[in-house]
Amino acid sequence: MKNGPQDSSLADMSEEVRRARDIIQSFLKSKKILRMYPSNNPIYINTLEDDFNKFKEFFHYRDDLALKIRQNEIYYDAEQIYFSAEKEESLALFFFKDGLREITFRKGLAFEEMEDFLKIISLDFNRDAVDDDIVTLFWEKDFQNIQYVVDDTVLADEDDYEETAVSRIKESEPDEDTLRRAYEDASREEGVVKDVSIVPLSDKDLQQLLSELEKDSQDKTDKLTDILFEIFALPQPKEDYEDLVGFFVNAIEFAIRHGDIQLVTNVLAGLKKVVDDAKAEDERKKCAKRVLLLTGSEPIIGLLGELLDGGQEVEEKVFEDFVKYLDRNAIVPFMKILGELKSIHARKVVIDALILLGTKDIATLSKGLNDSRWYVVRNIIYILRKIGDRRAVDYLMKTVRHGDIRVKKEVIRALGELGGAGVLQTLRDCLDDPDIQVRSSALKALGNIKSEAAKRIVMNKIADKYFKDRDFEEKKEYFEMLSHWKDSEVYDSAVGILKKKTFFGRAKNYENRACAAYCLGLLGNKDALPLLNRFKNDGNKLLREFVHTAMKRIEYGQ
Amino acid sequence: MASREEIERFKVGKDLVNQLSVVLRTSQIHDPGNVAVTSVIDKLVSMINLLIEDERVVSLELRGEFFYINDYRIRYSLEYLLNFDFLIREFKKRELGSVIFKDRIAVDQIKAFVRAFIAAPFSETPYDVMVEKMESVKSISVDMLKKIVEEDSLEPRKMVKKTYFNAVSYTRGVINKIKSGEKVNIKKAKRVIETMVDHILEEEQLLLGMTAIKDYDDYTYHHSVNVSILSIALGQRLGLNRKTLTELGMVALFHDIGKMDIPYEVLNKPSNFTDEEWKIIRMHPVWGVKALLKLKKLDPLTIRSAVVSFEHHMNFDLSGYPRATKSFDLDFFSRIVCLADQYDAMTSSRVYSRIPMAPDKALSIMMERSGSQLDPLLFKFFINMVGVFPIGTVVMLSTKELGLVCESNQLFPARPRVMIIIDEKGSKVKGHIVDLTEKSEQDIFVRSITRTMDPNKYKINLAEYLL
Repeated sequence: MKNGPQDSSLADMSEEVRRARDIIQSFLKSKKILRMYPSNNPIYINTLEDDFNKFKEFFHYRDDLALKIRQNEIYYDAEQIYFSAEKEESLALFFFKDGLREITFRKGLAFEEMEDFLKIISLDFNRDAVDDDIVTLFWEKDFQNIQYVVDDTVLADEDDYEETAVSRIKESEPDEDTLRRAYEDASREEGVVKDVSIVPLSDKDLQQLLSELEKDSQDKTDKLTDILFEIFALPQPKEDYEDLVGFFVNAIEFAIRHGDIQLVTNVLAGLKKVVDDAKAEDERKKCAKRVLLLTGSEPIIGLLGELLDGGQEVEEKVFEDFVKYLDRNAIVPFMKILGELKSIHARKVVIDALILLGTKDIATLSKGLNDSRWYVVRNIIYILRKIGDRRAVDYLMKTVRHGDIRVKKEVIRALGELGGAGVLQTLRDCLDDPDIQVRSSALKALGNIKSEAAKRIVMNKIADKYFKDRDFEEKKEYFEMLSHWKDSEVYDSAVGILKKKTFFGRAKNYENRACAAYCLGLLGNKDALPLLNRFKNDGNKLLREFVHTAMKRIEYGQ
Repeated sequence: MASREEIERFKVGKDLVNQLSVVLRTSQIHDPGNVAVTSVIDKLVSMINLLIEDERVVSLELRGEFFYINDYRIRYSLEYLLNFDFLIREFKKRELGSVIFKDRIAVDQIKAFVRAFIAAPFSETPYDVMVEKMESVKSISVDMLKKIVEEDSLEPRKMVKKTYFNAVSYTRGVINKIKSGEKVNIKKAKRVIETMVDHILEEEQLLLGMTAIKDYDDYTYHHSVNVSILSIALGQRLGLNRKTLTELGMVALFHDIGKMDIPYEVLNKPSNFTDEEWKIIRMHPVWGVKALLKLKKLDPLTIRSAVVSFEHHMNFDLSGYPRATKSFDLDFFSRIVCLADQYDAMTSSRVYSRIPMAPDKALSIMMERSGSQLDPLLFKFFINMVGVFPIGTVVMLSTKELGLVCESNQLFPARPRVMIIIDEKGSKVKGHIVDLTEKSEQDIFVRSITRTMDPNKYKINLAEYLL
């Protein structure tokens, strides 16, 4: 029979043995449940409560539940209550292989103790990165009501070491005469027995010790990196430098895992000093450079991403200092995590990092524009815009035809800020885009460029015969943008449009004229007041209102 | 991590032990009716009664060197160290094992207990006097100190011996595996150290005794284990918890791992080292760091081990090696391991120093180094731990018996337990143990140490007696 008693039938079991067996069965069940559910899940909680009740019921019969562990069996009171010959799932073997030979639960067993015990036995020692075996984990818990007996012979490296060593050590026994001589010498000479005395411990000593202990609780990684620099300063064989690279990188990884970016920055600063030191040997420089490069590699930047996404607060200045030591190889890993991060704060930090790093390699950064995720592309455009390097324009222009409107808007804005000859043509094309948002962004971008050529594009569009057919709001936007060029050409053009009367399409023309009045108002030129005054009582309500507003703006600067 | 309940229990426990100690200390100076005494008694009574409300019975028991309240061990509290030590000493003086408080306690009952406690040591049978004087106090009873019977002590001794040699064997295996590029099981190391920590907590003297036995052939491995044991024992005196003691034991075990890279012919050279050879020897802390960092992935324990490996020869005043390029604050563990390392090295027979030093001689040299090479504060604790006559010291007694110190006495350092190896007639005897605190009817110590002898001069093999 598997997972149960082999020899005795259930009917023959005493109540006490039956309950002990139930507890073993509940261990098996709990092992699975605790692995599957989080501790706040009702199934998890109910399972533990059931287990605890089983213990309570057992303790009605006896004060102790002592389980004897064999390789494949567990016994209670000489009764086998569990058997499994399996290797992977056997509870008996699970305990046995680490040397556990007996586990005793005492009547005072607390719920928390039982939970800790079950949590330990539920760990998947094959999969989970558990550094300790089950005995160590029990030991660390320092259970008050769970005792265990361990066979420590598994710890020795040789079976008969004790015997061999003892007989070897005892070999050189002194003969009787030598011992007698010692005795005679000792009897002959009287003397002072010691020159060392016990120094009583004072309260001051204890205070000093307490402060030492307090200091000792600090993290030691910075000490390790100090030591690595000490070793690094020593002359050593070429192959040892390779080891040192690994040690530094491991220390950096460890510090990042523990959120200590300042320490990483200190290490990188130290290494940078070596790189910049004209007197440093080539091998040392190479080693330092490699660490600096590896710090910007995907695994380390990936760790940084995990740290940031985990909600770790990183001081802006500290992070900025850290990024300054990275090389351009860090750009791709940073772009990779940018697409994976979930928290807005983390993305913001990475974007800032890329703004700093991107200046080192615009071409590599621009590769991010090909990312399949629209938000990554938009972030990269934002980063390129913030960097403000015109070399990015060629890459950006290819993104103007991106399928996502949000990307399009961002790239038009970036192009507007960066400017340049090729940009104007692209922006002009965008003014005819079917999407109003794109057209509006392109108009703003042109306004941002503020060049004569940009003005010409806007004016030509206004002068276009189809312009009047655009929505009123769009037309208004055009005139608003035009007002950015506060020159006579714009003024004259607005005046001309305001005066213009048509017979056909009168309503659309009134819209144009209202926009021209709006433009004059924004230009703020008082010369326009007499003309505006002429139309302040116009029969068209729209024109009347816009003229009125423009006059107020010019007169009162509102 | 300890639960809130555990922390609370520990706090209440240590406060109670401390308060009882305060009451008894104050009562030795003032009359129980004095206000200085009554105020501390009042506080003690309220503490006990508060506990009684929950527990009904409060039993304070001394087992070995530890107090237990209702079977919970009250951990060594640094804050109250002096009061704890005082209470242990006073309990032992009266052969008092436990005090049991039942029902609610009144101030007068505590006063009666205090009177009985103070009167007891003046009698030849202090415990009996206490019992007699407390007959009328119904809510407080006492029990006699449970002495460790000889038969029972055999088993712990065997277990300690087994633990010690397991540790040496494991260390030997680890070094050989690293040398041959095999994978090392660090989980096992933790188990080895945890067992040693348990023994230090329960049978400190037995395990310390094992460090006195030196094996010339396997010096390196014995030394690693000895330094680990001495460090754990010192750490225990410093109030470190079990987990920290394990970490300390681990880093101490691997402190000399860099020595495996020293060429065999240099490490085993019987004559003095040349300057060139010294240079090689002095590289072992650096090699140790490299070996440890290659051994397993970086974690706090590996970091600490590397730090200690690097610093254990730097000395408290940084006069040692490696010489640092900038100022260094030596790690707390490094300073502990440095003490343990020096003591064990001096008292061992090594290839380049065949004649080991007598333990007391080693301590005098260390005392000279205290403040320069060694941390003076930690040395104070160290000397209190090993005693003026460390285990393994050969002593001549006032009774003309020659003996071997086999157990230090924390409270009376000059009065350890001694195994007699030659009796007063000059005949070799095989080891009965005497306690130097033993007094005659005239209140005079039966035996005292008159001088120490160098066991090595007479080739006295400690293993013969201590194993």
